[in-house]
Amino acid sequence: MNKKVKVLLDILIVIACIAFVLCLMVVFESYKNEIDRKKKEDPVKQTMSVFEYRLKYKAYGEILDSYYTDKMKSPKAPEGMEDYYKVAEYAHNSFMSRVYAQKGDDKMIKSNAAKLKEQREQLGSYQYTADEIDDIIKNAP
Amino acid sequence: MVCKKCKHEIGPEELKCPYCGAENPFAKRHAKNMRKFNADFTQTERKVTNAAEKTGGLAKRAAILVFVIVACFVLVIIDSFAYVNFGNDNSQKTSKNGKASVAEAEALLEQGEYIEFVEYLNVYSMMSSSSKETEHLKHVKYVAGEYYDCIREMESMILRSTDPDYFDWLDGDISNFCMDLEDFYDVIEAQRDGEDNEEYKAYIEDMDNELKAAMKTYFSMDDAAVEEFLSLSRNQKGVKIEEVLRHE
Repeated sequence: MNKKVKVLLDILIVIACIAFVLCLMVVFESYKNEIDRKKKEDPVKQTMSVFEYRLKYKAYGEILDSYYTDKMKSPKAPEGMEDYYKVAEYAHNSFMSRVYAQKGDDKMIKSNAAKLKEQREQLGSYQYTADEIDDIIKNAP
Repeated sequence: MVCKKCKHEIGPEELKCPYCGAENPFAKRHAKNMRKFNADFTQTERKVTNAAEKTGGLAKRAAILVFVIVACFVLVIIDSFAYVNFGNDNSQKTSKNGKASVAEAEALLEQGEYIEFVEYLNVYSMMSSSSKETEHLKHVKYVAGEYYDCIREMESMILRSTDPDYFDWLDGDISNFCMDLEDFYDVIEAQRDGEDNEEYKAYIEDMDNELKAAMKTYFSMDDAAVEEFLSLSRNQKGVKIEEVLRHE
């Protein structure tokens, strides 16, 4: 009887050891994959490369569309993505400037103009985008 | 003890008296008892040793098995925690509740920042109809949500890339805008009468005016053209916008 129980326990130990090794492999693998994914798909790097690509084609509409989606997750610009947020915010305010002008809302025209001026100054090396955006808005439709 | 014959002192284990040579009956019995006791002791010792040999490995094996199973569970827990932590890395979303946050949202309304108002409510999970803190803002909230969608689509259309080498999403944007515009006017019709607060009613009207101003500006329309445009079907609206934006 005891011998049978011992054999059964030995089998269970072997099975448990195999399960342990598998668990260890899964943990190791998922950790490795996560590190690899982080290296390959750095979200900041990826977002900024898409942003640069869109800038190349003056696709400000798409920049704005992504910005609205990203802003839901990160209300403040994540580190490294500040320029993308600034350009998008400028594009939105520039769009609204003509709407307020059409509406004849002096208060909003003034506050929006002040915002645009401040944002333009903060654009740094992306200041050319402000000119491009203003040009598109001015000549639309 | 004392010898029964000569009355000299003798030891309990001495079989004969060293003085008179008489036999010691107690010592005989004692020797017999000791032999029996030793035999019993040896038998018991053998039984205990055998039993220990039979069951000794079981406890050890059971302990190893339990240890390995616990280690497996620990690894599974570590693995699941790792996923949770990795998943939350980029989230900046914070929960913000209470009167202060509603006041901040209302301040955005007062400033006429309707897009920022919707963003704020969305970020702090107050946009859903189940949010009790913003229950009094529900009519404005619905209208602002639709206004946000319309402006977002208009911005996508107006600020799109016109580079022939770039993807042309305009048809999709126009289709989305026409749908959002219909939703906006459906919602505004339903919410306008439900709103008792004059201030909030004014915000709803202001959003309507602002959207019309946007259409006038970016679709080259006057008041009459906007009204005519709004009376068109969804497809007709789409065709009209495409004509304007593609300069056809």
